[in-house]
Amino acid sequence: MINFSFDGKNYTAQKGDTLAAALLRNGIGLVGRSFKYHRPRGIMTAGVEEPNALVTIGEGGRTEPNTRATDVFVYEGLVAKSQNRWPNLSFDIGAVFGLAAPVISAGFYYKTFFGSAKRWMFYEHFIRRAAGLGNAPTETDPDRFSQRAAFCDVLVVGAGPAGLSAALEAVEAGKRVILVEQDNILGSSLIRDPQELDGAWVEATAERIRAAGGRILTRTTASGYWEHDLVTLTQRIAEPGQIPLQGVAQRLWHIRAAKVILATGSIERPMAFAHNDRPGVMLSQAVRTYVHRFGVVPGKRVVIATNNDDAYKTAHALQAAGAEVVAILDARPAPAGADSGLPVHNNAVPLSTEGARHCLKSVTALVDGQAQSWHADLLAVSGGFTPVVHLHMQAGGTLDWNDAAQAFVPAISRQNVTTIGGAADPKPVFKMVPVSKPKKSFIDFQNDVTLSDVDLAWAEGYRSVEHLKRYTTLGMATDQGKLSNMAALGRLAEKQGVAIHEAGLTTFRPPYTPVTMGLLAGAGAKDAGAHVRRLALYDVHAAKNPIWQPLGYWFRPRAYPAGSETLAQAALREAKAVRSTVGMTDVSTLAKFEVSGPDAAAFLEIICATTVNKLAVGRGRYTFMLREDGFVFDDGTVWRLEENRYLLTSSTGGADRMATHISYVRQYLCPHLRVSAVNVQEHYAGIAVAGPKAKVALSALIGEEPPRHMSTVPAVIAGVPVIILAASYSGERAFEIYVEASHAGAVWAACETEVMEQDGALYGLEAMEFLRIEKGHLVVGGEVDGRMTPHDLALDKMLNKTGGYVGASGLSRPALSETGRRQLVGLEAIDGNNIPEGAMLVTHEGVSPQGHVSAAAFRIIEGGSIALGQLTDGFARHGEELIATSPTRGQKARVRVVAPHFYDTAGERYRD
Amino acid sequence: MTDVTITLLPASPLHALEIWSNPASVAKRFKAACGFALPATGCSDGNDKLRVIRYEPTVWLVEGDASALSGILWDDGALTAIGGGIVRIRLSGDGWRTLLMEGGVFDAESPSFAAGCSAATIIDHVNVRLHVVDDDICDAYVPLSYSEAIIHFWKTAALSLAL
Repeated sequence: MINFSFDGKNYTAQKGDTLAAALLRNGIGLVGRSFKYHRPRGIMTAGVEEPNALVTIGEGGRTEPNTRATDVFVYEGLVAKSQNRWPNLSFDIGAVFGLAAPVISAGFYYKTFFGSAKRWMFYEHFIRRAAGLGNAPTETDPDRFSQRAAFCDVLVVGAGPAGLSAALEAVEAGKRVILVEQDNILGSSLIRDPQELDGAWVEATAERIRAAGGRILTRTTASGYWEHDLVTLTQRIAEPGQIPLQGVAQRLWHIRAAKVILATGSIERPMAFAHNDRPGVMLSQAVRTYVHRFGVVPGKRVVIATNNDDAYKTAHALQAAGAEVVAILDARPAPAGADSGLPVHNNAVPLSTEGARHCLKSVTALVDGQAQSWHADLLAVSGGFTPVVHLHMQAGGTLDWNDAAQAFVPAISRQNVTTIGGAADPKPVFKMVPVSKPKKSFIDFQNDVTLSDVDLAWAEGYRSVEHLKRYTTLGMATDQGKLSNMAALGRLAEKQGVAIHEAGLTTFRPPYTPVTMGLLAGAGAKDAGAHVRRLALYDVHAAKNPIWQPLGYWFRPRAYPAGSETLAQAALREAKAVRSTVGMTDVSTLAKFEVSGPDAAAFLEIICATTVNKLAVGRGRYTFMLREDGFVFDDGTVWRLEENRYLLTSSTGGADRMATHISYVRQYLCPHLRVSAVNVQEHYAGIAVAGPKAKVALSALIGEEPPRHMSTVPAVIAGVPVIILAASYSGERAFEIYVEASHAGAVWAACETEVMEQDGALYGLEAMEFLRIEKGHLVVGGEVDGRMTPHDLALDKMLNKTGGYVGASGLSRPALSETGRRQLVGLEAIDGNNIPEGAMLVTHEGVSPQGHVSAAAFRIIEGGSIALGQLTDGFARHGEELIATSPTRGQKARVRVVAPHFYDTAGERYRD
Repeated sequence: MTDVTITLLPASPLHALEIWSNPASVAKRFKAACGFALPATGCSDGNDKLRVIRYEPTVWLVEGDASALSGILWDDGALTAIGGGIVRIRLSGDGWRTLLMEGGVFDAESPSFAAGCSAATIIDHVNVRLHVVDDDICDAYVPLSYSEAIIHFWKTAALSLAL
């Protein structure tokens, strides 16, 4: 026996029970409350199509709301709670909504909650309180989710008799086969009807499939069918709320199959009649499943309503289990069912039921035009069978109408997919038209949609089935209309005066059954979906306990606080060290490309918008790159290391984009060039040494005179070969030292020793930002935001006058250099307030903004707030006073427009 | 736990060899200098000193002592050091194929992906190059910045794959 609880009360289940089976075994009929009217609901099905018995499973971070009780297997300690009720399931205050049903029918929201925005703010409070079923967990899910790929020749979905046979045939023909089954055991319909092929056949077939190398996945649902025969599977390794072995709760499979066989069977349809949603009304095949699979008999006095032969099997199963079948209501005329030996009434359809919150008491039917009633505690209904065509349709297929079965069946397949078994050839049924009062005749149990709601939508002009769906909410939520869509289509067709297949279809979208968000995130669920990239010098930095900052996928030191320093204090101290002595920082994340070959310079003059081929060996220059439309998308430096070998650096944030761009230019625009362009971003770690004493420090490190500004030399530091680039991003004399990343630790240690010898300091990204803003250097993603041309950034004088670079044609458009464009400016505060980063620039309050602040900082030595920004006609407005305002933060400052260089405008500090 | 051992291999010189012109002549010179042919796409070849893996139409990953190669390229190609940014990880044991399907998009379980085969693929968002050494060993070449994360990912995944 297995112990579990439901709404705080302890019960026992038997091994293999679903929660639904266990609840029925314990005599529990009332399991939940409906979404809108809070009507008492029981268990209707035995599968994933269950619309009523939605419960919350588990506790804490493992809580899973809106779980179908029919789709969770009981384990020791399972905790289940009913939903959408207060204070408890039996006495639910929300049931008062049922009394108001006549005024809260379809479209109630649209007709009621309109008016001014202020009114909506009032409505919203109540709507949000009333919305939804179960509550999402507030704690972090402690489990892991795995994602996995698999390839096969044949993927078979569904392990009933057709699926098992198809998988066996394929695997014994030498194919790589994967067979998936959403249940935890194989057999599907054979579990319900074991007399057709017994469990021994199922076991023997499965064994043969495995022996031939086939893979069988149980508790796995094919949830989506995508392009190129990619099928996603969701596999439950642990049951909802259960502590998983080895921590993995679920696995998402990406299956790429040469051929897909769908043996997905069909879903039995309910019937529409008054109070057909009462606990004790169940689908006929579900009743048979509970009897045969779980040994649970859901009722003692049973009425069966049907329009087909299948329900007679249920009657015999119930009789064999000791229940009394008091009536069979067969919609078909005599002699249907005449030889069954059962109390059959032909031309009989249910009209209504009566009962209490927890159970059914009687059934009333129309028999040959006369109303007749029976006392009963179970009504098993079979309104026909809907083939499960979801995956076929997601694969782009079409449907045909099967009139004998009153159902859609797969027709044309647009991918390599075939449907077999019951999903392709459903059982014939007798066509029925609802005769009961429509107001309490539910067709979508989960959303409380009745026949009268469809009628109302039609009366109000909703003709398309897609509009009907959205107006009534029919076919939405966890069951996605598995039970309701055909009934709604039937009613719509009746209104339109057309056949059902002419009434239209809604779209079948993945997933087939609900998928948890953690599963979609996979292993990255705990890291916002991606791994963190570690610097080669990560351990060195970590030992200094810096404040880390995410930068793209990287984490870089933002500052190295000393003692109790705050971020701002540490960053200012570090920046002052660079201005007064020397500082060093890790710049390893910069994009770096080594470009080699006789045509290297020609290639770089296509990538870069500046000249390159005039560089002498050992020299470098600032450069920038354009998109094909002429806008700046990155910048960096280019260095001629040897006659035919160059090093190009660009921004960290744009590294991947630049790699793609270079590959595009190399392979599509310049396949004829004799050049190799290799991404060496991670091959080289980078260390920047900057400040008035940088030259002294570097001299001591390399034992010779360092290169002059914008020159490069090879050197050796701590016995390790390095490349030294004399470049500055701080406004000071500075050097970037590039070293093979695997040897970076020794070079960093030597540099740090020398920098400390010069009374210097390490500095992080925050100080680097202060320094570059004060000097007026651009940053990609800030000043270079994809909307700025070289003219807007005052870079146009550096453009290669011979053209030929990517973006030259786009840039030649007059609009990209005309007046009235946003242009780069400097801003300095004139009222003592700090300039808010991101603030709008306005001439006075209440007018449209004319630009914005892209980056803000302080004068490092003198103090005072400064910023860079973009301003309409900014070049011509130096000296003008504006307001930088950020209403959302309640901050503003009066600013003066100035040139975007606040420090050493002549560039004298670069030079020796 | 599935049968796979994850081992960090010691650093080794790695180069990107790109050939932009006269590929047949370069191939002939290569074979004369190295003793084996430049491998075709999706393949690798080599000896105890040098392993060469083709991973782009005109680019090979060269592992080991590449000093002989600069002399045979002339003006037809270039050799660029990339070893500082790549970590070599050895996956050994008969479970390596199973492990590589975790977070992957490449059919490492295919019997045709056998010794001497190579692939460039993505595993859990990380670009990885693979080289099958033999039935029980596959070497992976992983970006340095992601190596710590991917090793953790593989070790964690290996624990759960028996389920």
